[in-house]
Amino acid sequence: MIQLMTFPLPRRCWLPLLAASLLTALASPARAQTPATKNEPDLIRLVQSDAPAGDRAVACKLLAIYGSEQAVPALAALLPDEQLASWARIALEAIPGPAADRALREALDKLQGRLQVGVINSLGIRRDPQAVPALIQRLNDPDPDVASAAAVALGRIGGSSASGALVKALARVPDSVRPAVAEGCIRCAEDLRLAGKSSAAAKIYETVRKGPAPKQKMLEATRGLILARGDKGVPLLVEQLTSTDKGRFAIGLRTARELPGKKATEAVITQLRQAPAERQPMLLLALADRNDRAAMPAILDAARTGSPRLRLTAVGVIEKSGDRSTVPVLLETAAAGDAQLEPAAVAALVRLPGEDVDRDLLARLPQSAGKQREILIRVTAQRRTPGAFPLILASADNPDAGVRSAAVQALGAIAGADQIPRLIELRQQRQQPREQAEVDTALLAICGRAGAAAVPPLEALIRSRDSSTRGLGLRALAAAGGPDALKAVTAAVKDADPEIQDEAVRTLATWPNTWPEDAAVAEPLLQVARAGARKSHQVLALRGYLQYVQGDRKLDPARKVAKLREVVPLIERPEEKRLAISVADEISDPGALELLLTFAQDEAVSREAYSSVVKLAGKPSSGLNKAQRAAALQTVVDKCQQAPIRERAEERLKALE
Amino acid sequence: MSHQPANRRSRSAIRPAATPPLNFNRRQFLTRALQAGAALACPLIVPGAVLGKDGGVPPSERIILGAIGIGGRGNYVLGCFLEEPDVQFVAVCDVKAERREAVRARANARYGNQDCATYRDLRELLARDDLDAVLIATGPNWHALASILAANAGKDVYCEKPCTKNIAQSLALAETFRRTGRVFQAGTQRRSLPNFAFAVDLARRGRLGRLQTLHAHPGGLGTATSGWLEPQPEPPRDQVDWDLYLGPAAWRPFNKKFLDGFNFEKGGGLVGGGCLEWGSHCVDLCQWANDADHTAPVEYEPVGKELHARYANGVRLVVRNDGWMGLGSCPVRFEGDQGWVETGDDGEIASSSPDLLLGRGAKVSGYPANFHVRDFLDCVKSRGRTRADADAACYAHIACHAANIALFLGRKVLYDPVKHEFPGDEPANRLRSEALREPWRI
Repeated sequence: MIQLMTFPLPRRCWLPLLAASLLTALASPARAQTPATKNEPDLIRLVQSDAPAGDRAVACKLLAIYGSEQAVPALAALLPDEQLASWARIALEAIPGPAADRALREALDKLQGRLQVGVINSLGIRRDPQAVPALIQRLNDPDPDVASAAAVALGRIGGSSASGALVKALARVPDSVRPAVAEGCIRCAEDLRLAGKSSAAAKIYETVRKGPAPKQKMLEATRGLILARGDKGVPLLVEQLTSTDKGRFAIGLRTARELPGKKATEAVITQLRQAPAERQPMLLLALADRNDRAAMPAILDAARTGSPRLRLTAVGVIEKSGDRSTVPVLLETAAAGDAQLEPAAVAALVRLPGEDVDRDLLARLPQSAGKQREILIRVTAQRRTPGAFPLILASADNPDAGVRSAAVQALGAIAGADQIPRLIELRQQRQQPREQAEVDTALLAICGRAGAAAVPPLEALIRSRDSSTRGLGLRALAAAGGPDALKAVTAAVKDADPEIQDEAVRTLATWPNTWPEDAAVAEPLLQVARAGARKSHQVLALRGYLQYVQGDRKLDPARKVAKLREVVPLIERPEEKRLAISVADEISDPGALELLLTFAQDEAVSREAYSSVVKLAGKPSSGLNKAQRAAALQTVVDKCQQAPIRERAEERLKALE
Repeated sequence: MSHQPANRRSRSAIRPAATPPLNFNRRQFLTRALQAGAALACPLIVPGAVLGKDGGVPPSERIILGAIGIGGRGNYVLGCFLEEPDVQFVAVCDVKAERREAVRARANARYGNQDCATYRDLRELLARDDLDAVLIATGPNWHALASILAANAGKDVYCEKPCTKNIAQSLALAETFRRTGRVFQAGTQRRSLPNFAFAVDLARRGRLGRLQTLHAHPGGLGTATSGWLEPQPEPPRDQVDWDLYLGPAAWRPFNKKFLDGFNFEKGGGLVGGGCLEWGSHCVDLCQWANDADHTAPVEYEPVGKELHARYANGVRLVVRNDGWMGLGSCPVRFEGDQGWVETGDDGEIASSSPDLLLGRGAKVSGYPANFHVRDFLDCVKSRGRTRADADAACYAHIACHAANIALFLGRKVLYDPVKHEFPGDEPANRLRSEALREPWRI
C-alpha cells in the first residue's frame, strides 16, 4: 500500500499509523511488520475513515489483538464490504463478549451470498447458541452455500435444537447440501459421545448411516456408532472387517484401533485368523496398535506360522511391543535363515527392552550352537548385554566358521584397545584370507574408536617381520590417528622395505578425513612431496597435501593461498594441476585468482583454470572486491580460447556492471 | 551440559566405526560405510513386501493419487510418489495454468498416456470418487483447509509443512482426521530419515538417561504480519485464479509479489513466520523425542536470541539458531543426564559416547522424502498411524505457534495443552485463531 493517508485524524494519531502503513507497504510478505499503535480509539478511527482499504484492513487485524467491544460497530459496518469483510471478521471472531455475537447475528439478515456465508462461519466458530434459530432457518436457504454453512455452523454449536434440526433436514435437503448437513450431524454426535452421552450420539450416527448421506459421511457415522456402542459395537465392527467393500474394511481397520475392550481384541484376533491371507497383515497391524497385551499370543502365533508376509509383519510388531516372552520366537525366526525374516528378527531382538531380556539372552549364549549362536553373538554385542563380552571373545576360537566370523565382527563393534593384542593373535591364527580380512576390519574399527590408546599395542604389528602385517599396522595407526600414530607412520616412510615405504606414503597421503584436527600431517606430506625417495611418493604426497589445503577449515583464504604457492613449483603433471585448480577455485582471495590465471597459461589445463576463474570471480564474495572480479573476468574474455567459457565470463562481467 | 563437543572423543564419536583403509577414496569410503551401516541397521520402515509393494502391482491394488498445488517442492515430492510402483497419479489441481500443465505433461510422460486430468479448483478434483489420496503442496495458506476438505471428501492426505497457520487450525486438522478416519502424513520427512529417527530412539529409550533439554534449530525466529501491496492488473482467471490463490486468506488486490512470494501467509496473517518454517521439522523432532505427540510445552519465553519452552514433565525445549556442531541444516540435539546426541541434514550423528551409536544404520544425507512417502502409502493400505500423523503434526505445530505468540508478544506465555488455552491471557488467546475469508471454513 503506497498511497498516503488523507483521512481526517489529528496529526498525533496518524503519524504512527502512517508509519505502520509504510511498513506494510515496504514489507515483503515474509518481512516483519511492527504494529505502530496498539491504541484502540486510533485504530477504530482509522477503520471508520476514508483511508485506503489496505490501511483499514491492517487496522482491522490489529483490532483482533487490541480491540474491545468498543470496536465492534466499526468492524460490523465493514461486513457488507466485499474487500474488507474478511478483515473485519478476523477481529470480530477474536473480540470476546456478546457485542460481536450480536453484530454478526444482526448482519445475517442484511447480507447474501458469500458475505452471508462468512458471517455464518464466524457464528459457528464463536459457537453462539443464540444464533441457532436463525441458522436453522438458513438450512432451507435456496443458496446451497448458505444452507451448507448453516449446517456446519449448527454442528459446531451443537445442542439439542441444532442436532434435532440437522437430523430432520438430512433426508429433505438437496443433494448439494446433504454432505454439510451430514457433517453437522456427525459433529453434534461426536460432541455428545465425547461428553459421555453415548446413546444420544448413537441415534444421530444411526440416522446418518441409514442415509441418505455421502459414503464418506456414512463411514464416519459407522465409526462413531461403533465407538458409541462400546462392547455392543463389536458386531458392527466385525461387519466392517469382513466387508468386501474397500471403504468399509478401511474404516473397520481404523476403528479397530480405537474401540477399547477385551471383546474388541478378541474379535480382531478372530478376524485375523479367519481373514483371507492378503488381509491378515493389515488386521495384525490393527491388532498391534490396540496395545493390548492379550493380543501377544496371536501375534507370536502369526510370527511362527503365518504366511511369509504375515510373519514379517508380526516380527515388526514384536520389535515395537515385545518383551522377554517373545525372545524364543524371535530367535527361532532369526536362525531359520530366511533372507527377509532374519534381519527383521535380529533387529527386534536388539531393540527388545528390559534387563530380563539381556539375562535371557546371556543364559542362552553358552548353550547355543551354529546359526543360533551367531545370532546371539550379534544381538548381545549390539545390545551390549552385560557379561556377554567374555563369551563373545571365547567364540572367536569356535570350531564353527560362522560363529567365529560373528564373534570377530562383534569384537570389531564393541572391543576396546585392550583387546588389540588378542585381535593380533587371532590374525596370526587365521589361515583363510577371508577370515584374516574380517580380523583386519575389526582391528581397524577398534583403532578408529580407541584413538591414541590404540597406538602402543599396535607396536607389535609395526615391528613384525611380515610386510603385510606391518602394512596393516600402518593402516591401523591411521585409523587411530593422533600425534604418536603420525610419528610412527612418518618414520616408516624411511623404512628399509620399499613396500613399507609405499604403504607409509599412501597412509600419509590419505591420512586426513578429519580436518583440521589432523593438520599435523601437512608437514611430513610437504617433506615427502619435496624430497620423497621416489617420484610416485612425491606425487602421492603432493596430492595428499592439496587435499589437506582444501579441507582444513581453520585455514583462512590468505593462508590457503600461501600454502598453495608453496607447492606450485612442485606441480608438474596436468593431473595435479587440475587438483590444485579445484582447490583454488574455492578460495575467495585475489591470490587464488592470480594462481588460477597462472595455471591458465598451461594449455593442458587452461580450460579448467579459466572456468574456475569465471566461477570464482563471477559471484559476490567477501574476499574479492568488484574491481578484482572484473579484472579477472576481463582476462578470461580477452584470453580464453573456449567460447562457452568466454561467454559466461562476459555475462558475469555484464552483471557486475 | 556443554554445547561444545570439539574434543578428540566427540570427534571420534562422529567417525564411522571403522576408519577407512588407506586406499579408499572418500566416495568408496562412504559407500562402504553405508553398507556396513545397513548391516547393523534397525528397520525403521515397514518393509514394502509386508504390504505387497514388491513385484508387479495389479491396478486394483494401486493407490490412485491426485495432487493440489504443485510448484518446486511439490514437484519433488510428487517425483517420490511417481517412483512407487503401487501409485497411479491421475489428476493435478493448481490455480496456475502453467504449473498444472507442466505436471500433466510430466505424469503423461511417466505413464505413456494422456490420462492426467487438470483442475483449477480443488473442489472439482476432490469430488472425484476414484481418488484414494492427495498430495497437497500448495503454499501454507492452503495446507490445513485443503487437507480438511480432502478428508471430508474421503481422501487420505500427504500435506507439506507447515501444515497449519495457527493453533485453531492445528486442532481442527487433528479432529477432522480422527472423525473422518482418513490417513494423514505431514511432510515432515525427517521423521522417516535414519539419523533423526535413531537420535529420537536414543532419547525415547532412555539411552541418554533422563531427558533434560531438547534443542531445535528453526532457521529463524522473527514473526511477521502479512499485509497489503499495491494493486496490479489481475491476470485472466484461466491463467491464474487469484481468488482461489487467496483462498482462506483475507482479501487483498492482486500483486505478483504475493503470487510468487515464498510461503504466502505462512503461519497465518497475525503471527506468521517465526519458528514455524523449520520448527515444524525440528520442534516436531523434539516433540517426538520427548514422547510428546499428544501434548505440547506448557511455558514459552523469549530469552535473548532464543526461545525457551518447558514441558509439563520438566523437559526444556530450546529453540535457537546458534552454537551448533555443523552437522548440516535443521539440526536437533537431545540432552539427557547421561548423554547427548546431535544430528542434522548431513546425516551424521554426534553423541557423548561412541557406544550410543552402535547399530546406527545407514547414513542418508540431505532430506529425501522417499521414505516418508512410502510410510504414507503403507498406511493408506493398512490404515495405521503414519510417522507424522495429524495428532503429531497438530501438537508440533501448536508448539511452534505458541512459541511464535510468545515471540510476537515479547514475553512469557503459559499454555494449557488440554484445554488449549493460555490461562487468563487474553492477548495470547486471541492469537490462537484467525477468521477464514468467505466462503471457506474448516
